[in-house]
Amino acid sequence: MTVQESEAAGIAFVHQELNLFNDLTVAENLFLTREPVNRWGRIDKKRIHREAAALFDSMGVEMDPAEMVGRLKTSQKQLLEIAKALWGKAKLIILDEPTTALNTREVDHLFAILRRLKEQNGTSFLFISHKMPEVFAFADRYTVLSNGRFIAAGAIADTTPEKITEQMVGHPAGQGAQYSPRPTGDTVLEVKDLTGPGFADVSLTAQKGEIIGLTGLQGSGSSEWMQAVFGALPVQCGTVTVFGKAVKPGSIHRAMAAGIAMLPGNRKENSVIPDLNLMDNLSLAEQTLSARNFPIHKKTERKIFNHYKEILHIKARGPQDAITSLSGGNQQKVFLARWLNTGAGILLLDNPTQGIDVGAKEEIYALILELAAQGKTILLNTLEIPELQKVADRCAVFYEGRLVRMLPHAEINEHTVMLWSTGASLAKEEQPS
Amino acid sequence: MKTSAKRSLSRLAGQYSYILVFVAIFLVWALTSSSLTWSGVMNIFRHSAVIGVLALGMGLVCLTGEIDLSVGSILAIDAGLSVVVFNATGSILLTLVFALAAGAVLGVVNGVLVGIVEMPAFIVTLATMLIYRSLAQYLCQHLPKELIGGGSSVYKMDTELAAYQPFYGFGNGKIATLPLVGLVLLALTVVFVYLSTSTKFGKKVYAIGSNQKGARLAGIHVSLMKTAVFVLCGLLVGLGAFLWIAMNGSADPATTGSSYEMYVIASVVLGGISMAGGKGRCLGVLFGAMSYTIIDKIIVALKMDSLINDAIKGVILILVILIQVAGPRVRKSCWNIKN
Repeated sequence: MTVQESEAAGIAFVHQELNLFNDLTVAENLFLTREPVNRWGRIDKKRIHREAAALFDSMGVEMDPAEMVGRLKTSQKQLLEIAKALWGKAKLIILDEPTTALNTREVDHLFAILRRLKEQNGTSFLFISHKMPEVFAFADRYTVLSNGRFIAAGAIADTTPEKITEQMVGHPAGQGAQYSPRPTGDTVLEVKDLTGPGFADVSLTAQKGEIIGLTGLQGSGSSEWMQAVFGALPVQCGTVTVFGKAVKPGSIHRAMAAGIAMLPGNRKENSVIPDLNLMDNLSLAEQTLSARNFPIHKKTERKIFNHYKEILHIKARGPQDAITSLSGGNQQKVFLARWLNTGAGILLLDNPTQGIDVGAKEEIYALILELAAQGKTILLNTLEIPELQKVADRCAVFYEGRLVRMLPHAEINEHTVMLWSTGASLAKEEQPS
Repeated sequence: MKTSAKRSLSRLAGQYSYILVFVAIFLVWALTSSSLTWSGVMNIFRHSAVIGVLALGMGLVCLTGEIDLSVGSILAIDAGLSVVVFNATGSILLTLVFALAAGAVLGVVNGVLVGIVEMPAFIVTLATMLIYRSLAQYLCQHLPKELIGGGSSVYKMDTELAAYQPFYGFGNGKIATLPLVGLVLLALTVVFVYLSTSTKFGKKVYAIGSNQKGARLAGIHVSLMKTAVFVLCGLLVGLGAFLWIAMNGSADPATTGSSYEMYVIASVVLGGISMAGGKGRCLGVLFGAMSYTIIDKIIVALKMDSLINDAIKGVILILVILIQVAGPRVRKSCWNIKN
């Protein structure tokens, strides 16, 4: 069956990775390959704008049909993908993890739209997700697959999130990471008034063995700030001091040499080197640090690979396997190993559990706690508050490019974080009492 | 068990397809040519030297996902000016140093514009291709006649110089029936195979071609690496220019290295290196270059009009890539039917 045939049969697919054209407008994307034309074969721009606006209206979405897609926020792009599926008058819409790039409020909004569609048009949905709360908020029936095999199916009403998680992971849930306060050491990272694209005047200090969460709505600047500390984004002003030594920002290599590592977000785009095998992918970062020592010692490399394979439980046959043959979770473990192998004392993790299964998520959080216990300092940027509750000692909340609040562990919960990351608490604070 | 062996065999064939291509072309030559002798075979080796040396550099450039169209023009101007240096100094060593340095400098121009300024390589090297070729021809007309060895429009080495005979001897000499210039190519191939497979430099080249963004975030200095690769390519063209004048005793700025960028890129592709970057091996380049030399020989052996030469080369290139691209797809669909 081709895409055209399945579309004609009333099936639409919303992919996890967005398939939009950044250089076309919202309306052009929406109508791509099915543009209405006038008598001369010219695309009827007025009509597509009118119909797009009507569609957004019916969805309750605010979006300008004439806007270039490249300028939309990720969450808006996600909604546009869904709108595309709806426009085709699909009877069955398959959603592949549509919420990974959305924050809690946007997810609620999306679900409201989907529910309305279900009730008004009788549209059916196939909702692929790792997130239990969403599955239980939205689905009527469920099917559990694991490693390509069917595990269980039934009605949502007859099961619990714990049961499904257990079926997915293969062992009872809740054995994973549990937070307990850890002693922390000297200050190892001191960032002062860092200003750059998307963030301004952000200062933060971190102690040895500490886990600091960073969070905020999409575009709040927390990810950009993290990238700037690593030298991956240019900085206008501000200083970074690592292990007592000033590191001039703006160079990844300098940051790495100073002992900083960053596991970037968007694994497929920023981490995977598809043409290198597992071993080469793993050793790449360390090798750029030790590039002056020219030759590669294959035996040592293999030893390092086997070492990390064992301690991180990487499911792979051997060092020569293609990186693309692994599951997302196992890939992420390889990249974590890539950075652990550099011996960095400070690990910046940008959305490390994006698009990986529940089991691997648990493992990664257990690993983060273990690394902190070994004295690594970890900065963890994520939108998932429950995950921060599990591991973070403190949580820095970003709002419009500024660090608006540093929450201690006890105050990390969905409600408080949401109040700060939407600026609601800020407004209250500024009001004279 | 049997099918898995078959599968790995077919994978091996896919990986080393450049050898299959070479063998096939070689067999055609062996059947059509009456000069299938040891010295005939060695002659192929000798005639592949310049293209092969250029192709090794181009191979690295292509592995990073870039392209260098200026190699033919660099070869022409570098060879021409090296002749001038030889005529002025009478020293082989100085000529070699100049040839390498000039190649590297011209490579730096490409490298800086592509790697650091981040202009598209296709455009930059298209421009430098025009510039260098034109300069080579212009200088040939306007330099003092005694420096270019006579009055014609060709850079000619001064045959009266004492160093001329040993120089020419190097270009055309043999050690135990093996042509010297062919040995240079062989030695360089060994160096580049080592560089690309067993050093951190090589690994970085592959990483950049495979995922530039990912490579940058793994700490690789992408702009410097790209510059370095273009400089290395220029350096090899410099060596190619040195070999060229040693073999020919002259360089014609209008025809020396003309269309070589195309032959060199074709050799690289025949050798199995992907133009998108990140995939392929330097060893293949050697076979790719030799395959192309043999095609020349076949055309001569068949007493065909040499003007048909490029047409045949083009067709073979398309056929080989067709097999490389379509082969896996056919194999895959066969698998699906069987299972």
